[in-house]
Amino acid sequence: MSKVEAILSQLKDIAANPKKAMDDYKAETGKGAVGIMPLYAPEEMIHATGYLPMGIWGAQGKTISKARTYLPAFACSIMQQVMELQCEGAYDDLSAVLFSVPCDTLKCLSQKWKGTSPVIVFTHPQNRGLEAANQFLVTEYELVKKQLESILDVQITNVALENSIAIYNENRAVMREFVKVAADYPQVIDAVSRHAVFKARQFMLKEKHTELVKELIAEVKAMPVQPWDGKKVVVTGILLEPNELLEIFNEFKIAIVDDDLAQESRQIRVDVVNGEDGPLYRMARAWQQMYGCSVATDTKKGRGKMLINKTFQTGADAIIVAMMKFCDPEEWDYPVMYREFEEKGIKNLMIEVDQEVSSFEQVKTRLQSFVEML
Amino acid sequence: MYTMGIDIGSASSKVVILKDGKDVVAAEVVQVGTGSSGPQRALEQAYKASGLTKEDISYTVATGYGRFAFTDADKQVSEISCHAKGIYFLVPTARTIIDIGGQDAKAIRLDDKGGIKQFFMNDKCAAGTGRFLEVMSRVLETTLDEMAELDEKATDTAPISSTCTVFAESEVISQLSNGESRNNIIKGVHLSVASRACGLAYRGGVEKDVVMTGGVAKNAGVVRAVAGVLKTDVIVAPNPQTTGALGAALFAYEAAQKK
Repeated sequence: MSKVEAILSQLKDIAANPKKAMDDYKAETGKGAVGIMPLYAPEEMIHATGYLPMGIWGAQGKTISKARTYLPAFACSIMQQVMELQCEGAYDDLSAVLFSVPCDTLKCLSQKWKGTSPVIVFTHPQNRGLEAANQFLVTEYELVKKQLESILDVQITNVALENSIAIYNENRAVMREFVKVAADYPQVIDAVSRHAVFKARQFMLKEKHTELVKELIAEVKAMPVQPWDGKKVVVTGILLEPNELLEIFNEFKIAIVDDDLAQESRQIRVDVVNGEDGPLYRMARAWQQMYGCSVATDTKKGRGKMLINKTFQTGADAIIVAMMKFCDPEEWDYPVMYREFEEKGIKNLMIEVDQEVSSFEQVKTRLQSFVEML
Repeated sequence: MYTMGIDIGSASSKVVILKDGKDVVAAEVVQVGTGSSGPQRALEQAYKASGLTKEDISYTVATGYGRFAFTDADKQVSEISCHAKGIYFLVPTARTIIDIGGQDAKAIRLDDKGGIKQFFMNDKCAAGTGRFLEVMSRVLETTLDEMAELDEKATDTAPISSTCTVFAESEVISQLSNGESRNNIIKGVHLSVASRACGLAYRGGVEKDVVMTGGVAKNAGVVRAVAGVLKTDVIVAPNPQTTGALGAALFAYEAAQKK
């Protein structure tokens, strides 16, 4: 097994076994883990406690049954899965759960967590661009910090927080470089591997993830760049999984050369800038820098333009919109983006992502047709 | 040169044999689809109708839901590409195709050279498809063939929602218990299917000529409803069930020429 294969295999294992990753961390450090609900959270704060931040993005293929008691059938697919898992106690090993509420479903779900872990709810201000919004978010983060300290019985010092911010900034920078490397080497980093590298970062300490990804990048960049005889796409949406779906991308030679997925590149888009202001204030300001996301209010609707730029910059053939089933914010963005893509003559396709589904024939037809169309 | 297209759908199997990429020498339909004896029976019927054998066929393209299960094909092409190809061959002025099949519905936009500009498909739901009509015909104690005729006799349109087949079935039963005329309910059912399919067409924009294809295009009631919703004339593709297989046979001809 080559070094590249070995690193990818390690990251794939972590991505596929979050429970094991958490148990291993507990055994190694004696500390626990804190869950993070989608989409954004001051994860650096959890890191500064020494607890392992764990992303909570649903599960694939689980039949929804118990969650029906609390959620209508047309609630977002991720939240259906999260609720089902909550009801089954899947998250009860978490020491706490950090819960942002940027959409209606998250807001409602935050009020009826069915697991036993304590839940810390906070709000992102949607009047982005106002200084008052920064002050508001600092206050929210102060409350989060206080609750984390109380629940985990750990003091979060500014020194620890600054250290965590530096670790996260480095990880984000390395992942941005990884995106470019994956675009240049689709034969080496296929759609499944690319996703695994992103997903694993949710279940491991960022410094360890950075180390592995740096090593991966160095190994891949030492190889010659080969011409790609398939198609290149930019993908957007909340998430693009499971592997069965990504394997269809591989089968039809569709390389993902950039993304705007909430689970992937949106998490690494914005750094916490250095400066003289305190860490909480700088973390709050990062939210104002967040752009091109359906849950971050943007009256100018810049997401379509951002995707068009990504398409031109990467030389992509098309954009694929991975529409999370029953995700209102994403559905609202779609017609605006669609019109802009069409105006620019950019080929585009919408596929539906439903975490409950285990059959992929229909999406296979769509992707095959799309490749034939390009 | 003879080429073959086989369209193995969820509800039916269709075979078209073309001579020299332009003359249809066989176009056969068997009303059972993938996983059944349908594909084999459709093939046998096509050979019988054309007087040809397997050895006479230079190239075969399979399409439809069961395209990967048909191992005798030289190539598999998606049904969206095949419908677009077949329709453009038959109706070169087509710019919007509405294809309603047994278990899915599609809206396809074409450019003036027959290239696909955009397409939308329904999402894992029987509402707005042929299966929806089958379920309703059972509750309404009629046949699919009779539905268009009964729709024409309707004096009003009974509202039937387009969200879900199961809910819509309950609505039909409620309408029947309330004494609503069967013809009016059938017209409502057709409007429900049309609304769903037109919703897909709206997503990509509607440009004339609008052509309907797929098995449901044989139902004049649905065609009238689609024309009413889109407020435009709708051309029904000749032999609408076999346009996908025709497109596949055309792709086969192109591939055979390159061999």
